[in-house]
Amino acid sequence: MRDRAEVLGPAKENGLWTFRRFDGLDLLRGFQNSRLPVKALFLEPLRPLFEWKQQGDSPELYSFPPAGDERLIFGIRSCDARALRILGPVFARDHQDALYLKNLSRTLLLGEACRVQCEGSFCGEMGIDPQDSGDCDIFFREIAEEYVAKVLTERGEALIGEGDFFGEATEEQWRSARGEIRGSGKKPLFELETVRVRAAERFSEGELWQRVSAKCINCGVCTYLCPTCYCFDLCDLQTPNRAVRFRRWDSCAFSDFTGMAVHNPREEKWRRYRQRVSHKFNFFFQNFQAIACVGCGRCVAHCPVNLDLREVLLEVAG
Amino acid sequence: MISPVAERGIYQPDLMEVTKVIAETWDTKTLHIQFKDPALRKSFSFLSGQFAEYSVFGEGEATFCISSSPTRMDHLEVSVKRVGRVTSALHQLNAGDMIGFRGPYGNHFPLDMLQGRNLLFIGGGIGLAPLRSLIQNVLDHRSEYREIMIIYGARSPQDLCFKYDLEAWSRDPSVKMITTVDVEDKDWKGKVGLVPSVMEEAAPSPAGAAAIACGPPIMIRYTLKSLEKIGFAPSQVWTTLEMKMKCGLGKCGRCNIGPLYVCKDGPVFSFEEIRSFISDEF
Repeated sequence: MRDRAEVLGPAKENGLWTFRRFDGLDLLRGFQNSRLPVKALFLEPLRPLFEWKQQGDSPELYSFPPAGDERLIFGIRSCDARALRILGPVFARDHQDALYLKNLSRTLLLGEACRVQCEGSFCGEMGIDPQDSGDCDIFFREIAEEYVAKVLTERGEALIGEGDFFGEATEEQWRSARGEIRGSGKKPLFELETVRVRAAERFSEGELWQRVSAKCINCGVCTYLCPTCYCFDLCDLQTPNRAVRFRRWDSCAFSDFTGMAVHNPREEKWRRYRQRVSHKFNFFFQNFQAIACVGCGRCVAHCPVNLDLREVLLEVAG
Repeated sequence: MISPVAERGIYQPDLMEVTKVIAETWDTKTLHIQFKDPALRKSFSFLSGQFAEYSVFGEGEATFCISSSPTRMDHLEVSVKRVGRVTSALHQLNAGDMIGFRGPYGNHFPLDMLQGRNLLFIGGGIGLAPLRSLIQNVLDHRSEYREIMIIYGARSPQDLCFKYDLEAWSRDPSVKMITTVDVEDKDWKGKVGLVPSVMEEAAPSPAGAAAIACGPPIMIRYTLKSLEKIGFAPSQVWTTLEMKMKCGLGKCGRCNIGPLYVCKDGPVFSFEEIRSFISDEF
């Protein structure tokens, strides 16, 4: 496979899990999920759009087109695979963003079932099955020394059909490969539909949002680590040799995200926090009929002030 | 890696040449611009109320409405108040300089719903820019509309934009033009007072009328209240909103008011549509 397409998989870099070009040596032991969501390989943190060169009186623009090379990413978790699908319509509707869409279409997604509940995660509450996925091309469950795979797309079929590496598995083998998830709670923390309805109903309750956002320090970590956050900025970088416009990740946690010269509709912290929660659980649903959260738990696990989205959602639902 | 312009994405602008620069006030300029590509000059079209993203390469991109009318397509006009990095760079430009242009984006004023009605235009400061596109548009098809009243206010006589238009509209017998300033100077002949109160005093009849307002958020909030007070229903009032934008295409995530994106669901909204959000998020 590696001679035909780029193969990427989980690897530890500087002590953190990431997805990178698979070198055949990376050990996957202990991998639960990457620190940055796999989204970063689809909506890149910093993506050059075009550059310009002065030609006489006028600049000439040269674009950096979408990458076309096929690639394969393995080790993707159900939550992150779902997130890639959730973001699809944002970039497909109306004006098509070929950069994201092409990244999706050129990538074979190989998912793998979780065996350990991630810190802070609430995938179950978000309707994600960590041991199954309809959002990948092939989804694997590991059993002792072996994998049982479910092939979900024609592309996945084509990949499996190529070698004699794979044997036919029975439905029973697939079912029994579903094991326990270590550390998972028995009882759901909240009911998603209630959260969704209440988040909309309680949008105007300033006091609620002030209370739940009180300890937020607007660092933006939750947005950068989020597999469904997609807000971006367009910015220029000009050096004596190079002049490029980039698309780069941005964050609704920052006050200059919406700050204009004389007015900022989200000047106060609680308005920005309200925006983040409302966007995910209310506005995004109104616009795209999906909730823009997959319960991966990164925002919970890595918040420097332990602001726990699960607790916030419980409070909003109350 | 580098490809010709044909493969460019949705965030890449076209080039436009600045053909003329007009100093409107001490901090506001109007640029006349024209596509570098002659084919685009012919094929480009837009509607009053739409906006675009304007680039000064190396400084970045900023959002402004097209302040000229689609009935006058010799060139496009954009009016820019100097408030930050990109606007300052735009103010540095001279005739012959090149800028980037992406657009037109967003929705437009509902001309079909304005036809046959009395029209009340209410503008504040640089907020006259989008209204001016519509006013010129309407005046170029004058017979399709009934009475026209324009109320325009600025902080001081020095802050009045489009003075050449204000004079022309004052001379036009088919237009009732009221100009007001917050703080007068010794030569000022117009009204003194805030736009909402001047409007209440003029008390245009809401019967068969439509009001279109644009100005700073504080003016919009009070103007909407005053319009209700003199009998305008929310469905008779349109406004065009300003929010910070980057992509202009409903993707970059910052210009929403509730579930609505000002860039693609707006910038023109009827008061009815945004009523529940306006006091809270704008």
